[in-house]
Amino acid sequence: MSITIHTTLRGLFVSGFGLASLLALSGATSAQPRPPAAIQETMDIGDEPGRVSTEEATITDGPYARQMVLFRSSEAPGTVVIHSAERFLYVVQGNGRALRYGIGVGREGFTWSGQVKVSRKAEWPDWRPPPEMLQRQPYLPRFMAGGPGNPMGARALYLGSTVFRIHGTNQPETIGQAISSGCFRLANGDIADLYDRVPVGTKVVIRHKATL
Amino acid sequence: MTPRAGTPRNMKRFPLAALACGLLPLVLAGCGGGASMSSSDAPAARAPAPAGVSRDALVGRWGIASFHTEKDRKRTEAEARAQCKQPYTITKGPGDGVMMHVADDPKPYELRLKAGSGGRTYLGFEAPAGDPQDRELLSVKPKELVMRFVDPDAHARYGTFIYSRCG
Repeated sequence: MSITIHTTLRGLFVSGFGLASLLALSGATSAQPRPPAAIQETMDIGDEPGRVSTEEATITDGPYARQMVLFRSSEAPGTVVIHSAERFLYVVQGNGRALRYGIGVGREGFTWSGQVKVSRKAEWPDWRPPPEMLQRQPYLPRFMAGGPGNPMGARALYLGSTVFRIHGTNQPETIGQAISSGCFRLANGDIADLYDRVPVGTKVVIRHKATL
Repeated sequence: MTPRAGTPRNMKRFPLAALACGLLPLVLAGCGGGASMSSSDAPAARAPAPAGVSRDALVGRWGIASFHTEKDRKRTEAEARAQCKQPYTITKGPGDGVMMHVADDPKPYELRLKAGSGGRTYLGFEAPAGDPQDRELLSVKPKELVMRFVDPDAHARYGTFIYSRCG
């Protein structure tokens, strides 16, 4: 297994709410009035838990729809090849063809490349927000049981011993975007299709840009 | 309103904004003038405190986990007990409330316990019990709390929370 992180993973910090909030509260004698909605911060969409997407949600139109394409590769049939910059995942079919899926990828600073194998598969996987996400969104549960409201979506393919996965999503509208923390996300219907095609042990090649 | 697939990103905050528009229209001159909104303008409707639950029952360090369907409750309880390595800490507030977060907001606020209709207990801002930004306490035991967000959207997204006391 070999992995290259393209840029340093950025540290993410909550924007210093502690002291300022405590100072603002210093004169309070009871519970606070509700803060005006207009000044509340916008939530990071990165891995918003609990938004609901059905198991059947697929990308049906445009380049990110699942489709057979011409694909020149020296990889053996069955190999999964990910081109992060293009937002595509290919399952090599042989004869110069591949089944292509639209994906969401890691945002700037969270992209990586390498060669791994699928080490485990899971249906409706549980979700544990990473520590940096808990810093940004401290109200999150530290564990969320798998289900339609879970950011991991309907299926997950675990990549080697890394913390990264190919998984579904409760936000299919984010396919084609670079907003994840390094995982690769497909619409739930598409990850379910991929899940059935890809056994444990499958070689997965992650490239930032397309190369032969 | 529950966000669905395809909901534009900038629509995510709509429920809270809509709630603010719906609940504060007589106090705030519309929802367009965010800079002029002042929480001190809102009258405090002080809900009575519940008789059976004190804030001391909430204060402490907790492992928290959530579930959406009842079949996951048992293993979620076990996961909550295992989360004390990254606990959620509830402290006493400067008033008679506790310092906690509400959904989708990284700032801590002082929230207080409120008695609602039918013997229900809520936790939230100075507003009538059962306000959309409240949590409802479903169960309070010395070592375990069960809570849910009142807002149907937040509840659908985050599920039912199990708090397991650490230490």
